[in-house]
Amino acid sequence: MIASTSQRLTTSNPVAEPPVVAPRANRRVWASKGYLIVAGLLTLAFVSPIYLTIVNAFKSQDQIVKNPVAPPAPPTLHNLTDALSRPDRIIQIGLTNSAVTVIASVLLIIPLGAAFSFWLSRRPARFRRMVLACFSAGLMIPPAVLLLPTIRILTILHLDHTYIGLVLSNIGGGYLSFAVFVYSGFLRSIPAEIIEAATVDGAGTLRIWWTIIMPLLRPATATVTIFLSLWIWNDFMNPQFILGPLHGQTITTGLYLSVGQYSTNYAQLFGVMFLAAVIPVVGYLTLQKQFIAGLTSGATK
Amino acid sequence: MTTRVRPRRGDPALGAIAILAMGLYALFILVPVVMSAWKSLTNENPLQDHAQFVGAANYTGMLHDSALAASLTFTLVLAAVVTIAANALGIGFAMLLNKTSLSFRVMRTVAFLPQVLSGVIVGFVWRYILAQDGILNNILLSLGIISHPVTWLGSPHLAMFSVGLVATWVLTGFTTVVHLAALQSIPVELYQAAMVDGAGRWQRFRQITLPMVAPGTTISVTISLITMLKLYDIITVLTSGGPADSTQSTALYIIKLAFTDDRFGYASAVAMLLLAVSAVISLFVTGLLRRREVDL
Repeated sequence: MIASTSQRLTTSNPVAEPPVVAPRANRRVWASKGYLIVAGLLTLAFVSPIYLTIVNAFKSQDQIVKNPVAPPAPPTLHNLTDALSRPDRIIQIGLTNSAVTVIASVLLIIPLGAAFSFWLSRRPARFRRMVLACFSAGLMIPPAVLLLPTIRILTILHLDHTYIGLVLSNIGGGYLSFAVFVYSGFLRSIPAEIIEAATVDGAGTLRIWWTIIMPLLRPATATVTIFLSLWIWNDFMNPQFILGPLHGQTITTGLYLSVGQYSTNYAQLFGVMFLAAVIPVVGYLTLQKQFIAGLTSGATK
Repeated sequence: MTTRVRPRRGDPALGAIAILAMGLYALFILVPVVMSAWKSLTNENPLQDHAQFVGAANYTGMLHDSALAASLTFTLVLAAVVTIAANALGIGFAMLLNKTSLSFRVMRTVAFLPQVLSGVIVGFVWRYILAQDGILNNILLSLGIISHPVTWLGSPHLAMFSVGLVATWVLTGFTTVVHLAALQSIPVELYQAAMVDGAGRWQRFRQITLPMVAPGTTISVTISLITMLKLYDIITVLTSGGPADSTQSTALYIIKLAFTDDRFGYASAVAMLLLAVSAVISLFVTGLLRRREVDL
């Protein structure tokens, strides 16, 4: 209130009342400083659980028990080295398996989703709408509903408890639906003339898709890649049941297992959690512009 | 209007990829749904060789299943409460952080972080915070707000509250970013004009901000609801559905029926119920919010 009224007064008549302006402007500076502090404190409170994970990963068990909120002074790398030198190598194995699953799933879903959306964009509108409605169901269905029959199908294909099975099941996890949605939305913004011009040259459709459409779709591919990678990396239910505990761990199931083992050794616990969280968090911080752009395009469309 | 492009040669290669995509989608979404529908009419159980057709027995059996009633009630109430809370907080937080200076951009970046962490990590961190000797109790004790440690995860009602709290925390990261994007698309002139007309702060919020962010809210509410109906990992780590099954969401109940109790037929029937509930809620809410967008 104070900020807005003083703003109106100072901008409407700044020269006529110079003695009044100075204290008001001053008050405005203080108001905006106070606002910044309030916003900062609220944000800090909001992310305090993440703060705890970071600082306690670099503290000894004694330091954590004495004061879990304090910054690590002096910091120790023991928790991280301990986590990395476990005989079962659960972190290294988990990170590798998660990376392989994410890369294979994304490499499968991106071309499939993009080519399918391009193909679909050239079908009659009614057919297109029907297929898209059918694909939107994939976004809504809770994975728990599909889990049991999916395992049965993979068993019939002799792919149960395998990474290939896990990757294939990701197609059904709503991930292909998501890719098709993003690509279809983006394709609508590409003028038909561009595609037409390419077809006149006599290029085959597959070549048009690869050499002309895919480069045009690059922003959509960025969105799809970022979000699929994050979701598949963080996925817990599918690796837990489709892969199964005896057939390998991703980082999420490995974390679940290992934290169950040292439930009171907080130093170990935070070290493992830090290592499990660091890749998605660093990925987000480096690609945050694309993250927000992807969310925004979905939210304002 | 887009003109259809007719290629000189047909597009068999592209068509083949399209068929592959549709085939895989059908194999991993549509076929499982049909299989689940079929199994829900049997008493299939992995311990016996032959499943018998039991008709609607699994569905009539649901009427006498108090665990299902409790789980469905918990899921629906949790979804509604968390969706409302996370979106209200998201709009508020977005308005608070809707400034362009560097410090506010940093805060906006940080506010999305709960969404980046896996539910397993979120579950463990909060289990640590909410433990009987955890940080929350220590802070509340030292401030004199409580005189004894509260069992946040140990008694049914508090555990339900705690699951809601954690889910709201995670979802608020998402609702904030969506509403921030929507806020930034509102032209400043609208507010200036309203201020010239003497509109107060509440009027500007009610008449400009809310209607202008409505498309963002539609997306945000729909995705919040879907996320809540799917929720599995956070609850598994935080409470495993306990104490006394009080936080057993329907997704957890299906998993328990299938993998602990080996009741495949009944698990499939409950899965069909959750599918129907999710479909009705998604369609109803999107329809409702779309209509509201038009009205405004």
